[in-house]
Amino acid sequence: MAELSFLLVVFPMLAACSCFLMRHNTIYSLIVIISGGLLIGSAILLIPLVPFSFSPKSFLGINIHEILTAADFLLLFIILYFGVKYKNWLINSLAIFQIVLLGYLEFFLINGSETYPIIYCDNLSLIMVLIICVVGSIICVQALPYMKKHETHLKIGVSRQPHFFFVMILFLGAMNGVVLSNDMILFYFFFELTTVCSFLLIGHDKTERATKNAVRALWMNSLGGAAFITALVFIYTRLGTLDMQYIIHADSKSQLVILSMALLCFAAFTKSAQFPFQSWLLGAMIAPTPVSALLHSSTMVKVGVYLALRLAPAIEGLFLTQCVTIFGAFTFLFAAALAVGQSNGKKVLAYSTISNLGLIFACVGLNTPESIAAAIILIIFHAVSKALLFLCVGTIEQHIESRNIEDMRGLYTKMPLTALISVMGVITMIMPPFGLLLGKWMAMEAASSFLCGIVMIAMGSALTVMYWARWAGILMSDPFAGKFKLEKQPVLTWAALFSLCIGVGVLSLLSPWIYRWCIIPIMGSDYLASYSTDYGIFENAFGVFAVLPLSLVAVAGFIIAILAVKSATHSRITMPYLSGLQTEEPRVFKGPMNRLITAEAGNYYLSSIFGEDKLTPWINLGAVILLTLVIGGAL
Amino acid sequence: MRETLLAIFIGLFATPLLGGLINGLDRIITARLQGRIGPPVWQPFYDVIKLLSKEKMVVNVWQAFCAYAYLSAAAISVVLFFLKSDLLLILFIQAVGAVFVVIGALSSTSPFSQVGAHRELLQILSYEPLLILVVAGIYLEIGSFKIDDIYAWGQPLIFKLPFLFIALGYALTIKLRKSPFDLSTSHHGHQEIVKGVLTDYSGPFLALIEIGHWYDIILILGLCSLFWATGWIGMIILVAITYFIEILIDNVTARMTWRWMIGYVWAMGLTLSIVNLIWINLA
Repeated sequence: MAELSFLLVVFPMLAACSCFLMRHNTIYSLIVIISGGLLIGSAILLIPLVPFSFSPKSFLGINIHEILTAADFLLLFIILYFGVKYKNWLINSLAIFQIVLLGYLEFFLINGSETYPIIYCDNLSLIMVLIICVVGSIICVQALPYMKKHETHLKIGVSRQPHFFFVMILFLGAMNGVVLSNDMILFYFFFELTTVCSFLLIGHDKTERATKNAVRALWMNSLGGAAFITALVFIYTRLGTLDMQYIIHADSKSQLVILSMALLCFAAFTKSAQFPFQSWLLGAMIAPTPVSALLHSSTMVKVGVYLALRLAPAIEGLFLTQCVTIFGAFTFLFAAALAVGQSNGKKVLAYSTISNLGLIFACVGLNTPESIAAAIILIIFHAVSKALLFLCVGTIEQHIESRNIEDMRGLYTKMPLTALISVMGVITMIMPPFGLLLGKWMAMEAASSFLCGIVMIAMGSALTVMYWARWAGILMSDPFAGKFKLEKQPVLTWAALFSLCIGVGVLSLLSPWIYRWCIIPIMGSDYLASYSTDYGIFENAFGVFAVLPLSLVAVAGFIIAILAVKSATHSRITMPYLSGLQTEEPRVFKGPMNRLITAEAGNYYLSSIFGEDKLTPWINLGAVILLTLVIGGAL
Repeated sequence: MRETLLAIFIGLFATPLLGGLINGLDRIITARLQGRIGPPVWQPFYDVIKLLSKEKMVVNVWQAFCAYAYLSAAAISVVLFFLKSDLLLILFIQAVGAVFVVIGALSSTSPFSQVGAHRELLQILSYEPLLILVVAGIYLEIGSFKIDDIYAWGQPLIFKLPFLFIALGYALTIKLRKSPFDLSTSHHGHQEIVKGVLTDYSGPFLALIEIGHWYDIILILGLCSLFWATGWIGMIILVAITYFIEILIDNVTARMTWRWMIGYVWAMGLTLSIVNLIWINLA
């Protein structure tokens, strides 16, 4: 156990350093691929060992607690350094605030006689570790060909890739650290480490805008860090321990503990870029696409929902839990609305991430056995599908040099396979029997008895269908049917796209067993697992979702439809109807006076209703009011 | 087991016949309301058979995929309905079909298809939340999403969920492609965007979509019938009256714009639904 935990957390940090030091292209590429493989391997080896917990006493002869304290302070001083460097008083004051509180906690409160385990790994941690290692490694590997092209495109003289991969791999280690920690101080350290990593990655391109967005991400996440450390001080004052498992099950109705739960939720909201903190995640798109893929799918934003999910049993039955539901459902609805108004593909993906995370928070807040299962399923499948879509958009962007959806019109002609995989990615986001829809189904059934939640979730879900279907459709918008000339891409790119695409299908098919083997143990004594999964059919007292039978029917339907496509290639191909005298060009018709007229069509983005500039101020205002409710409701 | 097979058989084969028949009756009644005699009741079947026998023509081969996917999704959702499965799941699968029609239309570059597809999406956007809230309302009343539990419930739901039934009416009007909501495509050949979302589907593929539409009609009417699930007679009377009102509305209203549709359907439909949900929540 100790060795595996070491491999998962500390080894990536060492690998990251060696990436940084050995600046030769082949060497760091090899290091990235090998550490990816090692991470996936150790994550798989972890499966039979859970649940376990232990406390490493010392590392290289030094007391682990002292290393931790030193590292915590070092990290905060690094943040302070960046604050000073970019002359941001907000970062500075937040960093100083955290240093003071951490000092108070470490030197005046904690007496050092704690005996609780520092590392704790149950099925929830295991699922997170698997997501981080598998999806994260795939993204890192795909980043190798991507960054090469990226730097050629930007005409960068001295490659900054060693720095890039240093942070990417460090990030994976930090994420593993977050989900394996039981000691809240250790959790806090990795929590801050992910903040610093994302700051470095967002600012990687060193342009003015990249730096500006990175600094914004840093101060917003520092706000979360400040809330986190404040909560730790409160919790220690009242409960006298920072043992996470103890805190969750302490069942303390003390006002101070409830307030610190609300503060921890606040920290989770900042990490997961919920309204009104969405701007840091939107700004993060300035970075190379693998960074976005990493931030959105397996790392960073998942810290927030993971933290909330861990705390769920502790807030059950409180007013706070209802507030979290309302806040999450609000984010789900309005992030979907903003996505409808976007023509920028990466922004659509970003808003969809925020929206899905909102749904996960809503599930956590509902706090029923169904909704907790829904939250975990949504986390798993969102990670895979979103990574797939980001990698697709990154590949497309490098090819057509645009991330605008309108420019992807008829992409099927230029890059048929990538277009098809992207459509597949979209389908996994919105259609049964794929996992995300399974999660959404559970979420809706759980939310049905909570009026405010179900209304917002119903509306948000309809908006979600709209922005995805539109995108999938125009990727296929192609007047020359039947031609299929495979585009050229690096092997690693294909490997990443295919493994994610197949992965999401296989995982969806296996979801009843994932539920039985992984999710039921997570619920443990806190929730009564309610679904039975006989014959691959989810069923409880009030609902039924036949995953396996439906998947089989869907596969059969898919095969029939593909055969229909094959036979249609031999049928007569006509021109699209243009209500005029058709010419050889599919888009051009002969109008009055024999003039040639080109027909054009664009998407409805409904910017008069869903425009970013129209909605954002009101949404932010609403979110601030709801956040006040979350904190105030805990008082 | 025999019951399951029977349900699948009825769902797959009897439903399109019934759907086509209802369509035929609809055309006769509509004609009589307009002072015409109208086509024979079997006309929809003649149309579909003729379409099926035509030469296959596509603008984009993936239209064939979308037509088949729509038909399968519509058929599966109806079969699940007859298997008395989960209402929410049925709605999700029905939505799959609707999305594939849109993707198929978008895969053509014709502006008529494109505009029709976007209007279809706006229609989905309008009715989807209402359908979900109707199902949520049924759950709140009887404590289950499963259709067999609804049949086992002692009294007709319409007495407790009248406003949700009206909200379902909005969804029904949109799904039946009736005025004032026949924006994306219309049964009548006088629309400003030709045949809208269906413009570039032709021949056998158009026939598949028409058959899929029959399944869809039966599904939504089936949803209506659940509001009087205690007896066959009441069920049939409720559905017949509802459908007749739909025809009347179709004949006395004009087609409106999408802005009006979203504003009106969301404002009225959501208000009605929320009032009804609060009612059962408190009662």
